[in-house]
Amino acid sequence: MEIQGYYLPDDLYYEENHFWVKEEDGLLVMGMDDFARKMAGEIVYIQLPDEGKIIKAGKKFAKMESGKWLGKVFGPVNGELVAVNEELEENPGLINEDCYGKGWMFKIRPDDIGEMANLLHEPEEIEKWLLAEIEKYAEDAEDK
Amino acid sequence: MESKYDFEKNYRDQILKCSRCGFCQAVCPVYGSTLRPALNARGKMLLLKEVMDEEIELNDDLIESLFQCTTCAACVKDCPSDVNVPEIIKQVRKDMVHIGSCHPAFKGMKEVLQKHTNIYAEDEAPDFKRKRDQRAESVYFIGCVGSYREEETTDATLSLMDRLDVDYTLIEEVCCSGVLEDVGFEINKDLARRNIESILTTGAKRVITGCPYCWRTFNTQPDYAVLKQRGVKTIHLTQLLKEFDWDVKTEKRVTYHDPCDLGRHCGIYAEPRMTIEKIAPNFVEMPHNRADALCCGAGGGVRGAFAKNSIAMARRRLKEVEEIGAEVVLTDCNSCVHNLVNAKLRKQKFEIRTTSEFINMLMEEQLKDDSISD
Amino acid sequence: MEEKIKQMLIDVVGDKNFTDHQIDMVSYSYDASEHRHRPICGLWAETTQQISEILKIANKEKIPVIPRGAGTGLSGMAVPIKGGIVLDLSRMNKIVKISIQDRLAIVQPGVVYAELENALSPYGFFFPPDPASGKVSTLGGNVATNAGGLKGAKYGTTRDYVLGLQVVLPDGRIMRTGSKTMKSVSGYDLTRLFVGSEGTLGVVTEIILKINPRPTVTSTALATFDRLDDAGRVVSQIMFTGIIPSALEILGRHTIQAINQNTDLNLPEVDAMILAETDGHTAEETDFQMKKIISVFQKNNPREIKSAKTEEEARELWMARKSAYGVLARIKTHFVLEDVTVPMANISEMLKGIEAIAGKYHLQIATFGHAGDGNLHPQILYDGYDPEEVARVEAAISDLFQLAIDLDGTLTGEHGIGLSKARYMSLEHDPVALQMMRTLKKTFDPNQILNPGKMALEDKEAYDGK
Repeated sequence: MEIQGYYLPDDLYYEENHFWVKEEDGLLVMGMDDFARKMAGEIVYIQLPDEGKIIKAGKKFAKMESGKWLGKVFGPVNGELVAVNEELEENPGLINEDCYGKGWMFKIRPDDIGEMANLLHEPEEIEKWLLAEIEKYAEDAEDK
Repeated sequence: MESKYDFEKNYRDQILKCSRCGFCQAVCPVYGSTLRPALNARGKMLLLKEVMDEEIELNDDLIESLFQCTTCAACVKDCPSDVNVPEIIKQVRKDMVHIGSCHPAFKGMKEVLQKHTNIYAEDEAPDFKRKRDQRAESVYFIGCVGSYREEETTDATLSLMDRLDVDYTLIEEVCCSGVLEDVGFEINKDLARRNIESILTTGAKRVITGCPYCWRTFNTQPDYAVLKQRGVKTIHLTQLLKEFDWDVKTEKRVTYHDPCDLGRHCGIYAEPRMTIEKIAPNFVEMPHNRADALCCGAGGGVRGAFAKNSIAMARRRLKEVEEIGAEVVLTDCNSCVHNLVNAKLRKQKFEIRTTSEFINMLMEEQLKDDSISD
Repeated sequence: MEEKIKQMLIDVVGDKNFTDHQIDMVSYSYDASEHRHRPICGLWAETTQQISEILKIANKEKIPVIPRGAGTGLSGMAVPIKGGIVLDLSRMNKIVKISIQDRLAIVQPGVVYAELENALSPYGFFFPPDPASGKVSTLGGNVATNAGGLKGAKYGTTRDYVLGLQVVLPDGRIMRTGSKTMKSVSGYDLTRLFVGSEGTLGVVTEIILKINPRPTVTSTALATFDRLDDAGRVVSQIMFTGIIPSALEILGRHTIQAINQNTDLNLPEVDAMILAETDGHTAEETDFQMKKIISVFQKNNPREIKSAKTEEEARELWMARKSAYGVLARIKTHFVLEDVTVPMANISEMLKGIEAIAGKYHLQIATFGHAGDGNLHPQILYDGYDPEEVARVEAAISDLFQLAIDLDGTLTGEHGIGLSKARYMSLEHDPVALQMMRTLKKTFDPNQILNPGKMALEDKEAYDGK
């Protein structure tokens, strides 16, 4: 769906810190959504932890940076990190170029795939959440 | 005819002395990582010569070159004609800002410091679980990078100072704002005043800075002269650490990266090594070290304005770490740590730490070992 | 540049490797000489195929192409005097192969000389020419100018080490010259034609170099002479000892004075200073050679002889010579560094002649150089903003070249002709030789697109550097 110029595909699940998640062959693929990548500007660095790292839902497990912003990547579910997108090491800009495709970031083996239900997915939930986010960032931008 | 630009008034002779030999290409980190002569020191002097001769204008077209210099001063060391490119560049940037031609990231930095206490526009500093603004012999001044981007490193450094029983306090610090002088602006007098007041209120006679850049700012910028006048001395952490002896050692192969702000700019090469050699018998130098050290790419505002090239420079530096097979690279600048960590490839298995963080880690390991054997 | 052509070039190298930004155009207008001219665009090429396609386009559209390495040439070889495309080869910088048993290294043109040295050093090998610009200059540039250096007297110049090349001709055809063997006499020696051709006959895209084992021990000594004639005689007499020093450098009086004024080396103010180095695999060997050289010093009224006993002392003895260029560069606003070369027997005549020219034109000329192969570097220091002085400098240069030719010498030992010396080619070369050079140029480059305007290769005499 598109909300005020931000594109969020319907088939994905969203973590409230602006990470998308989708299921693929029993694993969860994770990336950054269109809103966040537009707010952040060009990503210059993303931390790619070693495979095997334990992921806890709601807890930060990696950092990323754009020219002006330091961001945290939060675990969408409980699980284990099984793969990272190695292209991002020398080309983090892929996140800006194609955040839902080539710019995917991590693959997680979930302890319980059912935890995906905790993420935002229904169109009405997503719309409400995103509009609130848009407003919040607009206020912050004014303060700054 | 009176020149309209300060850079010409102050540096005309030097710019003319550039004989175009191009030897600076051997050491310029921006050239080394981009292979684009326009970004090299010589390329910049050629632009300025043509501006002085009124063949081209000083305008936005020149930003990509004139604002892309880490001011590492490697070119100064080897220039047969004694042209001080970084000083000239800093002046040109002021001229460009004056005529409204400035890199947006740098303008942004100035604006951020007018509204915030730090260059990252962060609202709150981590409290590092320690009280601020206490009365003490020394103030430990962390710096923006240490406070907001390298908190773990700062935490470790503070733990180390606690172990050493250093009588210090943190303060409600604000950005020293020294970087503004490098990117076309001036120190933020308000922020400087706040720092000075906080320091003087603690009664401390010594400021220890974690950041070499803050150290330079406190020691050389007129806005901070008051500190010396009131008997407050500013030292860098490496100058404190060299006074101590250590019970810990590592067998790992360790090397040291000289930060430009500590090394080439201030001549501090020996102190960090004094400390490291005490704890690392297996110390080895990189091919380019001391005055020849390769810049990590973060300085002069480049990390903010040209982040990709900045990280490319850091990656080039790390190749040397790999070449010598070092397992640990120590350095004493949080900004260097930050850029080097960002640049490190996954397949490179070495650690990047500040000396203080590393020593703290060794001490913690020793305590753990001791308690296990008890 | 026409949009259509610009797009064709971008299609070959990609967007990121094409530039017409002002900042790049300014840089590419210059090398290390006093000449300059704007190109219309710059290209970074990384493969032979790309270069071939670029030249095909340029040849068809009659656009000049100027190959460029580090741009540290002293005679204007890399300056795009007729506009056109600057072809920057610095990103074509792989060391393709090092084979110690075959005694060779294969490199791309953008490899910096110092990089190759670093790669050879762990094997105990080196590539001898050692140009002063070695920390920055590229091998493509070294080949184009037949670069020499400090070790020239014993080890020769770049051309003595190039076994073979891959070249792209001005019409885009690709060819190879030479071979990977230590010797070959198969067909014309096209390799030698390209070495020193200053990028006017083809663009070199691969270089096969012979490499040498590096002698590990050196001996160094310095002698000062109150009289120039004595120093000159030393240089000739050393040859009779049967020893060829690995370096034999000379510094003239003005150079010594300038060094004293600008450093705290406190050198004795004499007519000339000679620095000698011998090399080998044992100290016995190098000391034996050095003793013979020192005995030549002793026979010629030296004021003082200093022998280095440690590496530290050797470094100190070298400092004066190494600081010469830099010190002289700071004295006035401008300078011209020439590299006239004469047979060794004529060195003191040449030095005296330079003094006379300096006197005649009231100019400050400081000389230093490679006495071991007769290659002198008179550095003329002047105020480039005084047109009257500039005119005297030009007249002095003209006399200088005439003097060198009269002493059986050559206009340039290692810096090349480029733009700076083009108008003097006929002083040195007879009309038939010049005609043959021009004929060859036309054969390789009928449309005259490859580095045009250089080396007096077009049927015009005067080249107006700006």
